[in-house]
Amino acid sequence: MNNDKTSASQLSELTQDIDRILITEIEIKNRIIEIGRQISNDYHGKNPLLIGVLKGVLFFLADLLRCITIPVEVDFLAVSSYSTEARNKGVVRLVKDLDIPIQDRHILFVEDVVDTGLTLNYLLKNLKMRNPTSIQVCTLFDKSKHRLVSLPLSYVGFELPDRFVVGYGLDFREKYRNLPFVGLLKPSVLAREMDGE
Amino acid sequence: MPNNSLSELVSKISRKKQEFAHPIEEQFALILDYYGITWLYEPTTFTLQEDTDGNILEAFTPDFYLPDQDLYVELTTLRPQLNNIKNRKIRKLKTLYPDVNIKLFKRRDLHDLMVKYGLDYEAGYLKGSKAQKNEQ
Repeated sequence: MNNDKTSASQLSELTQDIDRILITEIEIKNRIIEIGRQISNDYHGKNPLLIGVLKGVLFFLADLLRCITIPVEVDFLAVSSYSTEARNKGVVRLVKDLDIPIQDRHILFVEDVVDTGLTLNYLLKNLKMRNPTSIQVCTLFDKSKHRLVSLPLSYVGFELPDRFVVGYGLDFREKYRNLPFVGLLKPSVLAREMDGE
Repeated sequence: MPNNSLSELVSKISRKKQEFAHPIEEQFALILDYYGITWLYEPTTFTLQEDTDGNILEAFTPDFYLPDQDLYVELTTLRPQLNNIKNRKIRKLKTLYPDVNIKLFKRRDLHDLMVKYGLDYEAGYLKGSKAQKNEQ
């Protein structure tokens, strides 16, 4: 694991594309410990089911789970992304549903980032129809400036700036998720990728 | 408040009949449709200034209204340095109508939104000057 002093210049192939680190690995780690402690207190005796949306949440959920000290269960959902193909089929849909029934369960919905809130809004509506006892949302990153649907977020790690960022689950064209920190992508990289080079 | 299926239907019907002032607005409406968000296009004009006879001197019409969110959304493809008039109108609207919720998506916000949803052509369009045509 790289330490907090990790700089873009020291790093691998992926980090060459990063302009600046915004949230360091150690800052992320410490914040997740705090959130895990809070969740452990709030859900004591409730055996919550943590639900993550693939794929970006993988990193956060894995780290968060190891900071929670009470019994929990985990399940995953996946939704169609807004691509030309999906768009032609009409509306957003689940491409992977839950394996565990959620009726009468305490649900903690875990996201890597909440941006416009459009996907989360769709998923929460879907889950509420299954009659859980409660649903709360935990997100590591909040990008509230772009929010179109107002949603209550019970646990928030960091507010993200109004910039295109990658790392720790956040991707650009499926890349950069595995960076251990959150950084700004170089504008030249963004332009190069979009020009298909 | 209309139920979801009815409100989604209203959205779809209104979009089929809708002509947008700018292609980015249509893309934005398509994204909202995809996620089942009800929208109305330019449904309200807010008076910002009247003369003593009650004639409207200045007004502002936000691009979208999302009724379920009670949120107006204005999109702009203008470069930041050309955005002063629109920024001033929004500030004035917020002063005169403090209960109105409005969100401005600027050129860079729209660019990032298009990238996020895989709309490269539209995102690329926001880099050049042609995107600024048709702006009020």
